[in-house]
Amino acid sequence: MKKLITPFLLLAALVSAQPSFTGPMPAPPADLRPDTLRRAYQARVDETLDWYLHAIDPAGPLTREQALVKLVRGQDAAAVSRRILELLAEPQSGDMFWMFPWTAIAFTGRDQLSPEARAAIRDAWRTYFPMRGDTENHWVMYYASLFLMTELYPDDPGETWFNGKSSEENHAEAKGFLLHWMDLATTIGQGEFNPTHYIGEYAIPMLYLAAWAEDPAMRQRGRMMLDLLMAELADNSLHGVLRGPNARTDDTSVLERWNALATYFSWTMYGHTPPPSGYGGWGIYFAIAAHHYEPPPLFHLIATDREFDREQHDHKRSRRRWRYSDVEMMPVYKTGYIRRDYAVGSYQGGVTDPIQAHVWDVTWHEDDPRGVHNTMFSVHPHASARVLQMYFTEYPDWMIDLLASQGKPSYGVPDKILGCSPYEQVFQDLDTVIALYAIAPGENFQRVNGFFSRNLRDVTEDASGWIFARGGNTYLAYRPLAPYTWDELLGYRQLPRGNSGYVWERFRPEGPVDRILVSPHANNGTIVQAASADEFESFESFQAAMRALPLEFTLEPRPAVKFTTLRGKKVAFTYGEAPVVNGQAVDYARWKLFEGPHLNAELGSRKITISHGRQHRVLDFNTVTISDYVTP
Amino acid sequence: MKLPRLLLPLFGLLAATTVTAAPAYDFYICANINRNYVIGSKIVTTNGIFQRTDEGGWRHFGYNDTSITAVAFDPRDRNVIYTTALNGLWRSLDGGATWRICNSWDMTEGREVAVDPNAPDHVYVAFTDGIAVSTDRAQTLVRRENGLPERGKFTQTIKVDRTRAGRVLAGCEVGIFLTEDGAANWRRVHVTTDTVNDLQQSPHDPKIWVAATQSAGALISRDGGITWDRFAGVPTERALYNVTFDVTNPDRLAIGSWAHGVLATEDGGKTWTSRNAGLPENPRVWRVGVDPAGRLYASVFQETLFHSDDFGRTWHPNDLAGSLVNYFFTLPKAAN
Repeated sequence: MKKLITPFLLLAALVSAQPSFTGPMPAPPADLRPDTLRRAYQARVDETLDWYLHAIDPAGPLTREQALVKLVRGQDAAAVSRRILELLAEPQSGDMFWMFPWTAIAFTGRDQLSPEARAAIRDAWRTYFPMRGDTENHWVMYYASLFLMTELYPDDPGETWFNGKSSEENHAEAKGFLLHWMDLATTIGQGEFNPTHYIGEYAIPMLYLAAWAEDPAMRQRGRMMLDLLMAELADNSLHGVLRGPNARTDDTSVLERWNALATYFSWTMYGHTPPPSGYGGWGIYFAIAAHHYEPPPLFHLIATDREFDREQHDHKRSRRRWRYSDVEMMPVYKTGYIRRDYAVGSYQGGVTDPIQAHVWDVTWHEDDPRGVHNTMFSVHPHASARVLQMYFTEYPDWMIDLLASQGKPSYGVPDKILGCSPYEQVFQDLDTVIALYAIAPGENFQRVNGFFSRNLRDVTEDASGWIFARGGNTYLAYRPLAPYTWDELLGYRQLPRGNSGYVWERFRPEGPVDRILVSPHANNGTIVQAASADEFESFESFQAAMRALPLEFTLEPRPAVKFTTLRGKKVAFTYGEAPVVNGQAVDYARWKLFEGPHLNAELGSRKITISHGRQHRVLDFNTVTISDYVTP
Repeated sequence: MKLPRLLLPLFGLLAATTVTAAPAYDFYICANINRNYVIGSKIVTTNGIFQRTDEGGWRHFGYNDTSITAVAFDPRDRNVIYTTALNGLWRSLDGGATWRICNSWDMTEGREVAVDPNAPDHVYVAFTDGIAVSTDRAQTLVRRENGLPERGKFTQTIKVDRTRAGRVLAGCEVGIFLTEDGAANWRRVHVTTDTVNDLQQSPHDPKIWVAATQSAGALISRDGGITWDRFAGVPTERALYNVTFDVTNPDRLAIGSWAHGVLATEDGGKTWTSRNAGLPENPRVWRVGVDPAGRLYASVFQETLFHSDDFGRTWHPNDLAGSLVNYFFTLPKAAN
């Protein structure tokens, strides 16, 4: 590897070799013939399965995942059956995360397991009471599992299921939700859009529907939703690395963009980036049924072709709001712009998900992204019990502390760099982002945090007010609109658990550390302009070009910017008003479900066209059909 | 064992009950003993309905769920049990041995359930996005929200007036709502800007109701919930989680609050005092309850359950280390 590898990665490599994780950067496939792609896809799936098999301790018991892989490989069914009886004799836990693994075992083992093991699995669905959860991904896991299990046991009465409903009732309810969710996603957009980790919670259930649903329409719908997820992943990733915005991400992935479960899917599908450690954890549950799916060559082209620049506009939606909001779901207007060297993405700001949203960033390409914090952005570190109450049923006082105790340590700290804010409004035009902030009096943190990676080079605070830097082959210009200071960004280290969940301490990581530009002013703003180094003779010439760009701004009474971008666009953006580009106000009401070179759909259409050049695939959820065609 | 019987409306009976050595009631809580648990966690914990035993301990029964928010019983048959939880409304017809989720995917996160003592087939459920009603012991469940606002109908609490069938009060995001026709129509009787967290009808005088709110303090109604006044001595700047009457003393009420701990009055609400001495520092009280013998309980967040026999002047750890009590419920004791 060319870049630094974190100690964690090294340790992981020593414990158990994962060929693609520790090996050199893979080259994008040159041979795009379907059979070649299929063989390469299956080889990656096999690598994942093999890693789990090789990790088996001959003297120890099989894990649930190892047992499952043995079933996939048709090995030792008798021993696996005995182990399943042992596993199910223990108290069960995990709620909806319990459901899909046991669904996978039930289906994979239905022709191999002993009658006793199959009966134990079946009975566990009577005795264990899984919670349905409170987020969309929870429900997708819950209902996809229930749909499949009630097809496997179609005629059972209510007393044989944990929820007292018959197979027929459960099946109808599960189908009802799944159709509802697919309908939302294909009419007004997905809620948990572009998630760095939760993509697994959608992709795995959809794969299982595609693999095992007896209902042909649901099997087809599973495949279609999986197509949509993987096409979006291809379209939103920079050489396999999913960048922002993200409805949900975490404190690690928002900086080290490669280090996410989404990367496992990029690797498995397209092979152009290494998988994360342990194949992302949940990756194994995709691998065990991955032979039921393969992405079409068209998706490979979308994922790997970076020869032309492209801009994509999508319509998404926020998480459902229970209270303290005039709308149930806020519309999200998402912009993505990808070039060979970098990607810029954003949505308009506001609170889409209360905890883990990431509104905008510039992510630059690294030849080897492992361990690299290849991104730049700013945030208002908003933390509010009332906003949390919009989305959760809890009382106000403990919610902020609760989040840290439940594994989300940064929510209530002033130097956080993860999350969205009701006081942030963002506009993007190609590779220019303007983020404006008008933080209300009384808010906890009257500041804006700008993220400056340890991997940036030549960071220069220019007398003009611009801060210039280089990341990969990308030139970056960051303009804070209010005075600032610098802080080091400390990490979060988990301490032994206390009586109330996770306990954390902050620590300074070894070696170079990331920095935060701290701008402690309520009315504020950030302008970021990216460009490829290939566009300029030198870094200095880029800086000169930036200095020459017309820029006017004011922070009082509201932040307002007039800026001519590097691409020659005259952008005027005032907090609380529609952005204006070349004299024309941006009309979000005209935003389509998808609009760009690769994904297109009208709002409300349930019909998505996925394209690359002359190749097209149409996912028509009205007719539940997939159509491929080539234009002349 | 199924023990069908006609039980008198709860509080009417309790008001007439004299305290004896062998109390003629059963005392239940909905509690989690689940430090360190998060959704999807592999930690195995014990949660749900607990009944106090005659020896003073707690016996868990029913399904194990960290999210149970309330419990109610059919007054004719204590084997018919209802709970609200994250999955919605659950019902057992056999004393908790087996359960059924009564709602479909379009209802979620039940907050409270109440059975009409004068029409016991009628079950009212508070949900995050409104109110649902069953007229057949929760075999079917339909939304009844005429009169509730399109937005603002997050319903945290729902209680049935024991004096008249179909008269129900609901505490919502934007105020207190009343129906007098079994939820066919609702009208707002009190406006709030934030959620009404609890409603209780006095066991001594059914015209008296009290409410605990997120930002409007504690409220009292003396006309059956039609008009409301604020208790002057109760602070408004922080959320109050619940309020409880003392069935043995009409002048006693207690409020549970994360910020204020336990607040108590012994003069019918004219004056309120903090009753936190003996509780952990910054007590973070999640719920208070009074059993029909007049013992006051305070659930301190993930610490333990405390009790007081002098209405909060002194506290004693009760049991259930690491617990969180979401609900207290008292039921006339079943005959042998």
